[in-house]
Amino acid sequence: MNEKNREQKFLKGFKSIQSTIFVATSVLVLCAVLVATAVSVRYTNSTIYENSAIYTQTIIRQLNQNIDSYITYMDNIASVIAKSQDAYQLLYQQIGEDEAVKEGHRKRLLEQFSTILKGRDDICNIGIVQKDGVMLINSGYQATNPDLDLSTQEWYTNAVDNYNQYCLSSSHVQHVIKGQRPWVITLSREVHNFYGTGNSDGVVFIDLNYSAISELCDQNSIGDKGYVFILDQDGNIVYHPSQQQLYNELQTENIDIVMNADSDTVVTGEGDEEKIYTLSHSETTGWTIVGCMNMAELLKGSKEANNIYVMTAIVLVAIAMLISSFIARSITLPIQKLRDSMERVQEGDFKAADDLLVPSQNEIGSLTTSFNVMTHKIEDLMAQNVHEQELKRKSELKALQSQINPHFLYNTLDSIIWMAEGKKYEDVVLMTASLARLLRQSISNEDETVLIGQEIQYVKSYLTIQKMRYKDKLEFEINVDPSINSVHIVKLVLQPIVENAIYHGLKYKESKGLLTVTGYQKDGDAVIEITDDGVGMDEETLGRIFEKHKVNYRSNGVGVYNVQRRLSMYYGKEYGLRYKSEKGKGTTVTVVIPIEQEEHHEKA
Amino acid sequence: MKKRKQWLMLVGIALAVCLVSGGMLYIRQKNYSKKWSLIYIPKTEDGTNDFWTSLISGTRMAAQECGASLEILAPEREQDVEVQNRLLKEAIEKSPDAILFSPSSFDASDELLQKAKEKGIKITFIDSYTENDIQDMTVATDNLEAGKQLGEYARTLLNEDSRIAIVSHVKGVSTAIEREQGFREGLGDYNKNVVDVVYCNSQFDKASQLTEELMEKYPDLEMIAGMNEYSSVGAARAVQKHDMEGKIQVVGVDSSQEAVQLMEKGVFKGIVVQKAFKMGYLGVTETVRMLQGKPYDENVNSGCQLVTPENMYSSEIEKLIFPFNILK
Repeated sequence: MNEKNREQKFLKGFKSIQSTIFVATSVLVLCAVLVATAVSVRYTNSTIYENSAIYTQTIIRQLNQNIDSYITYMDNIASVIAKSQDAYQLLYQQIGEDEAVKEGHRKRLLEQFSTILKGRDDICNIGIVQKDGVMLINSGYQATNPDLDLSTQEWYTNAVDNYNQYCLSSSHVQHVIKGQRPWVITLSREVHNFYGTGNSDGVVFIDLNYSAISELCDQNSIGDKGYVFILDQDGNIVYHPSQQQLYNELQTENIDIVMNADSDTVVTGEGDEEKIYTLSHSETTGWTIVGCMNMAELLKGSKEANNIYVMTAIVLVAIAMLISSFIARSITLPIQKLRDSMERVQEGDFKAADDLLVPSQNEIGSLTTSFNVMTHKIEDLMAQNVHEQELKRKSELKALQSQINPHFLYNTLDSIIWMAEGKKYEDVVLMTASLARLLRQSISNEDETVLIGQEIQYVKSYLTIQKMRYKDKLEFEINVDPSINSVHIVKLVLQPIVENAIYHGLKYKESKGLLTVTGYQKDGDAVIEITDDGVGMDEETLGRIFEKHKVNYRSNGVGVYNVQRRLSMYYGKEYGLRYKSEKGKGTTVTVVIPIEQEEHHEKA
Repeated sequence: MKKRKQWLMLVGIALAVCLVSGGMLYIRQKNYSKKWSLIYIPKTEDGTNDFWTSLISGTRMAAQECGASLEILAPEREQDVEVQNRLLKEAIEKSPDAILFSPSSFDASDELLQKAKEKGIKITFIDSYTENDIQDMTVATDNLEAGKQLGEYARTLLNEDSRIAIVSHVKGVSTAIEREQGFREGLGDYNKNVVDVVYCNSQFDKASQLTEELMEKYPDLEMIAGMNEYSSVGAARAVQKHDMEGKIQVVGVDSSQEAVQLMEKGVFKGIVVQKAFKMGYLGVTETVRMLQGKPYDENVNSGCQLVTPENMYSSEIEKLIFPFNILK
């Protein structure tokens, strides 16, 4: 119950079905698109992350193996020299110090060095050094640094007394040659003294420049911003693509994090600085190869994908909104039209229904059809009703019209008889002719209306008869503007008024009475005034003049009430009779009817 | 009809929001990736001078990394104020976004720099500055600090009565003034033992010659302090030439291959090394930051480091005094 209320409240928030449909569809689509987008974004991100982590791991392991084999190869070269007869004898043979023999060793070694140097660009220096003794480097022509104390050089001290194992330095400056201080990585190996006398202080060293290692590290591209660097076991940088910046304190590398890492993959930093480090330790060299990828760059692909998702989502939502607005409109437009035409029908305009087109065969279509059928039926019923009313009114009118006061007829006939008896033949003729005209007009004419001229003629006939009957009592004047003669007027309107004036006004007057009928035009209406100078009426009588019970059945029964009713039925409420009377002075009855009369009255 | 208009408006607003935000993003990216044009005028570009070589390579690397175009206009000889001003004028005519400048003179370039500023060019001083505060930014060694480090170290090598002479580079130049002042501060009460200050105008030969004169003038001299590479190496050469390294200890500012060799030979007892590469690099990156409208420091200290025969082979010092420029 509560829920239903809430639902209704919710739906009431929108003023039309159209906006309800629109908002509901839009919200639904929006939610669906949001969820779909969020899921895709998440899925894409995690997939890309996992894939690239695996990919980088593979690359870094491969690279580690390559570097291992590179260093092993270099060690082989060093080993060959260190274990050669020449090196060993040159350094340690003390018995029979034949300079020529030593020179032979020296020459062969230098030749060997030259051969090696020629074949390899990545070897910077190769040589055999002995503290305070032999200094045999490269081709032998370069001057050695006389001021260098070898015992200050780690690559030398570490190699001495470390038989059968090579030493690998980190990046360092090689000071051995005078005037040259290149940055190198040095691989050194002791030349062991098997003589048992003297020190084992000869060392073979190979200085590697960075060409081979950087080539190895750089060829494995792991993204535009990704790079590979190498650390030794103490966390010193062996190789780094930004080594110069690092050495100049212009960049930092998260070496601590890498050195203390528990797993092969470390994620560090936040936001744009988020980086993924992938590590691989080498047992051979003791080095750690580290691949570093920028998370932002890694997710750049996914960012693009995300952008596409979001764009698609926006476009989808926009399209959905457009379509939903279209659907909402197409559903509610017929309803609105239906509502509008219902309002018009409510106000009585049945033609509104004719404008309604049945939009389609759906519910609204059948609703519209039903409405149309219903409206048409109502319209028919109304028309029928109007027709019946008209018929009823007509028959009523007829009934009213056809009543001719029989007393009048008898009295008139009596008058004729008397006149005939008195041999007043001319009067008889006149009266009979008048009576004949009167009867003809009242009986023969089927029409509802007559021309004012005819009606005046009728009144004239009536008045002529009455004047002849009440010779001393009645005089009449008829003065009608001929322009209104052709105006239609409801039949038998004037005669009852005139009759009333005679029987109620003039009859009780002691002197001779005058009855005037005047017709003229006024403001588009035809006005006929019937004035008598009879006894008149007081206000009370005047107020009750239109009451039904005042029917004078002694007259033809067509009382003032009937006349008034017929006029207002026919012409509308603003038309009809107006009484003006003063006690003792007379009464004026004004009949007002429109000159311009609508056609449908004629039809009816 | 009214409802329909409302929806059209809603959709319109949504579209407008999309367009505007997209446009703003585009403009922001464009501004961010704008290629700034910079001109650097050092005191000299001299292949024999490791300080300037290193500094310039620092600016070049930074420019490459920032995606800025960098032009170097350098006089052949340090202290050639006239040539430097001519180059500065030339640079102003090119209307770059910023001029990086290492003034050889304390006051002779101010007028031109003012002109550049009026033209809307940003000015960054590298290494040295001028009399007036014209610059938008200064990237330099804290020379007072450098001199002080040298002085404090020198004090440990001396005793109360040891006499000291200073070979400075150019009289009136900011670096010379500050280093000397710092050196004297570092010496503390031994400052009274400074017997003479001479100026070599940044020439090796003149420095050697002046040193020889000093040795003659003050036979009991125990220390000579050089205030830049030219003066200290020049002095060390003279001391070595006369085999006086046992008697006269040489300390100085700025390192070079030759200075390192002289230290190995025992002539130099201490060198305060400026971080030249870092100075050049920071000069460019900070200027670009300033141009991009990001927050920046008006005074950047690139730092310095004392090198002695004891620590010269340590990894930290090697990184500083031997330029690592093997890669790429």
